[in-house]
Amino acid sequence: MGALTLDVDHVTKRYGDGETAVTAVRDVSLAVEPGEIVLIMGPSGSGKTTLLSMMGALLRPTTGAIHLDGTALSELSESRLPAIRLHQFGFIFQDFNLLSALTIRENVALVAELAGLKRNTAREKATAILTELGLGARLDFLPEKLSGGEKQRVAIARALINDPALILADEPTANLDSKIGHEIMRLLRGIAKEQGRSVVIVSHDQRIRDIADRILWLEDGMFKDIVTMATDPVCGMSVETDRAIRDERDGETHWFCSRGCRQEYLGTLAADDSTDSTDGGRSAWRRVLDPILPRQGRG
Amino acid sequence: MSATWLLARRNLLRNRARLVVSIGGVALALTLVLALDAIFEGVSRQMTSYIDRSGAEIWVGQAGVRNLHMVASWMPDSVTDDVLAIEGVAAAEPILYTTDAISAGDERGWAYVIGLTSTASMGGPWDVVEGAGQPGPGEAVIDRRFAQRAGVGLGDQVTMLGRDFRIAGLTEGTASLVNSVAFVTFDDFAARRGGDPVVSFVLVGTADGVSPDAVALAIGSRVRGVSVQTTEAFAASEKRLGLDMSGDVISIMNIIGFIVGLAVVALTVYVATLALRREYGSLKAFGAPTGYLYSVVLTQAALSVVIGFVAGIAVTAALSAIVPRAGVNLELAISGESLVKVGIVAAVIAALAALLPIRQIAGLDPAVVAREGV
Repeated sequence: MGALTLDVDHVTKRYGDGETAVTAVRDVSLAVEPGEIVLIMGPSGSGKTTLLSMMGALLRPTTGAIHLDGTALSELSESRLPAIRLHQFGFIFQDFNLLSALTIRENVALVAELAGLKRNTAREKATAILTELGLGARLDFLPEKLSGGEKQRVAIARALINDPALILADEPTANLDSKIGHEIMRLLRGIAKEQGRSVVIVSHDQRIRDIADRILWLEDGMFKDIVTMATDPVCGMSVETDRAIRDERDGETHWFCSRGCRQEYLGTLAADDSTDSTDGGRSAWRRVLDPILPRQGRG
Repeated sequence: MSATWLLARRNLLRNRARLVVSIGGVALALTLVLALDAIFEGVSRQMTSYIDRSGAEIWVGQAGVRNLHMVASWMPDSVTDDVLAIEGVAAAEPILYTTDAISAGDERGWAYVIGLTSTASMGGPWDVVEGAGQPGPGEAVIDRRFAQRAGVGLGDQVTMLGRDFRIAGLTEGTASLVNSVAFVTFDDFAARRGGDPVVSFVLVGTADGVSPDAVALAIGSRVRGVSVQTTEAFAASEKRLGLDMSGDVISIMNIIGFIVGLAVVALTVYVATLALRREYGSLKAFGAPTGYLYSVVLTQAALSVVIGFVAGIAVTAALSAIVPRAGVNLELAISGESLVKVGIVAAVIAALAALLPIRQIAGLDPAVVAREGV
């Protein structure tokens, strides 16, 4: 896997012609850096999936260009796009989209075979990834025998099998319960931070904000507000950098969910590391902040 | 095992319901086609079974007579000696022949009645399953199935040629959809005709190493007032007449069955492919080339046709064994020509049927397929 940058440059997608034309995405620009997790949120019909599809070379923009490390995807011939999708992108879908007739190992290995790997090598690689994702005991199970979380882990394994630079996930937690959703989020974060892959997620799920480096709000096909997230060093909450309390010290910038956390942080520094920081006053602050900031993560 | 073969095979075999629908639909459709073809072939064979099994190599009949069905052939009995005198003729066997009603109990049918000499080496019954193969005076050898339907057996009476005969033997394979073959003595037959010194046909056997065609030609040129044909030509003429009379109906049934069967094959393959459109669409989204999707669908279609075809042959073969035992004068004969024809056409139809949905998949937006299904 090479570290690739995906550039979306003034992209517009229009369906239909004349009076019946519908513009799903309007003049959107975005750059996704290696190892970055970008979350695209927005109401239904806002153009999220259309944008994701264009980023994954599933759809061509009407105008504008999408570059993958300098290569203009939007200008490639149709016959070259499948190979790009196979090698450079890993797709994760809400409905898992596993092939019902194949075992989970075959589901994963098949995508590797399509990319040119020999059967045995593909199977070995699929086995290794699935085992790493905790599915080692279920390699020969059919998808129908798995829980939703397990299916999504298979989908993640399939997305990773060809060692892509970018993972594109469309509502990856939508069909999962809270616990499994968190598990999947942790996995996605690990993929980005430990493996250096870029992850673009389209979702309605507020919980995913916790793992995102950047949150984009898409509405009527346009980004309305670009939110960058940071982690409060005291309580561990995800906070939007534009709204959070900021403190710059010794060339480092920190963002806090409240003045209390900032004061505690400053107090901790002043106390010369003598304070027990295991909890960091997190529990007390949470009792205060939870009613105020219900949308944020619970640490 | 390639990725194509793996997915095609698993798609077909993994889901039991899908397997039953796909293979069962194709198998039943091809059974219909094969069975109708087999009936057609069987009826064709039955038409000429007596000629084919007569043991003769050449048939000599009254001038102008070129088949058995619905003809009267009478020649002076001296023709037998005339034929026997021809070089290359090893044996000449006269028979008397007519088509007549045969009845026993409440059962009535039509029969080719054959009058055999007591020393006949040709033209007699070929598969005697009960009793004697050679009728004696006042006796008849008749078809077993007719006897079964009539509820009669050895020693019982059967009526034909305007008199009663005692059943001396029962034969197998001497019945068709329209008639059976019954054998009486030459003398009994001749007596019913008033004792005229005539024969209907002379069955000829040729000497070793002699061409039947050459002998037939020699007989035709040296014996006057006769028509001479090799058994092969005589049978072909008989079959042509039979098919001219009843073949159109059978052919139309066969063609309709063929069209219906292939339509079912096409529909079955089409539905089986459509059922997996979403999965094929997902593969496309992940980057599977369109050619791969085509090969998977075509392999799956081919596989279902091959398995369905084999199952169809098995069912048709079973029918061909069961039907004759059910007391029906029907023979199902599976010919190699029919297998090749049905196999090739079924494969082509299946491929076309598979290409319809796959063309749609190839044209689908993979983003929509992956997200919303199709």
